[in-house]
Amino acid sequence: MLLVDQGQEWHDERLKPDKCVCESEELKTACFSELLPKFTDGDFTFCQSNAILRYLARKYELYGANFQEAALLDVANDGVETLRLKYLDLIYHHFEEDKDTYVKDLPTQLKPFEVLLSQNPRGGAFIVGDKISFVDYNLLDLLLIHLTLAPHCLEDFPLLSAYVAGLSSRPRIGKYLDSPRHTSLPINCNGKQ
Amino acid sequence: MPPYTITYFPVRGRCEATRMLLADQGQDWKEDVVTFDMWVKGDLKANCLYGQLPKFTDGDLTLYQSNAILRHLGRKHGLYGKDDREAALLDVANDGVEDLRTKYIDFIYKNYEKGKDQYVKDLPTQLKPFETLLKQNPEGGAFIVGNKISFVDYNLLDLLLIHEVLAPGCLDSFPLLSAYVAGLSSRPKLQAFLASPQHTGLPINGNGKQ
Repeated sequence: MLLVDQGQEWHDERLKPDKCVCESEELKTACFSELLPKFTDGDFTFCQSNAILRYLARKYELYGANFQEAALLDVANDGVETLRLKYLDLIYHHFEEDKDTYVKDLPTQLKPFEVLLSQNPRGGAFIVGDKISFVDYNLLDLLLIHLTLAPHCLEDFPLLSAYVAGLSSRPRIGKYLDSPRHTSLPINCNGKQ
Repeated sequence: MPPYTITYFPVRGRCEATRMLLADQGQDWKEDVVTFDMWVKGDLKANCLYGQLPKFTDGDLTLYQSNAILRHLGRKHGLYGKDDREAALLDVANDGVEDLRTKYIDFIYKNYEKGKDQYVKDLPTQLKPFETLLKQNPEGGAFIVGNKISFVDYNLLDLLLIHEVLAPGCLDSFPLLSAYVAGLSSRPKLQAFLASPQHTGLPINGNGKQ
């Protein structure tokens, strides 16, 4: 979403389903260069989804206006990562047994992001500051996949609801979210959502 | 009056890397100690963004999440690599440190007695990527990336030191990591800190296990 919104092209190298990282403990604990996703920019290749986001953020000035905003973005992104890990754990390890509990607990997990929006002195269009950042793309994705899991989960969060609507309507993002490039991919490797 | 305050439990835990960074960089800081009793009975938890500590203040900036704190200090004190490429490699390395730290914490607090043998048996697999990173560093293995110290070095050093306590000798088959720990630990200010009661007087973890 970051790349498309910034008007950047990219090439996807898709692995076959039997090499899905979720099934392979070896891939997870192998040398860093064998983790997925892997990202290449010219002759520079590296992995770890948040390292990729931060790299692109530095490249396209999506890391806040100053050190303070950068730090707050890290605080927010680490929160996104924490919830994303909980989500992945549910999806891959105990979806049927614990979906109800997870959904019931969601308001507690989502509240910090509503708080961050309410504390943003520039208004709630972006999580920090008055322009888009790498965290906005990450958080938007996290919220969209949770809306798929639990369609009403943002009803008690007016700022988050407006935030999702606002970001999704950015022309390039809106177009991408409707495109087969996005819609044809399942959210998760095991088909659960 | 130091501008930095660490608000945390009386443990090394997720703050020791930050403390080592500040000590090594010659920075003063204040410790705002929160006992478990204060945490359970007071309203601090409700006021923390994610309901967790550490909390860190730099003047009027308040931060949560130990890695956000480290990155902030990394940016502020020139400890984030010399260019975007090194910064990216540092992020990759730090995310790896965080992954293993999370496994360690989970093991310490939830599965110590039953899980210790397996955890220690699996350690070489978990440590190998860091040995590889040191090997791949074209500037030599004194630092994880590049040729000067970064926020990740403090984080990784702490991770390796606590694992040596858990499993003495766990670095024996990793010559670069062994040299790396020895080299960093002998930096004068860091060495002084590691020998001081400020460090030795705190348990590594809140439940006394290590």
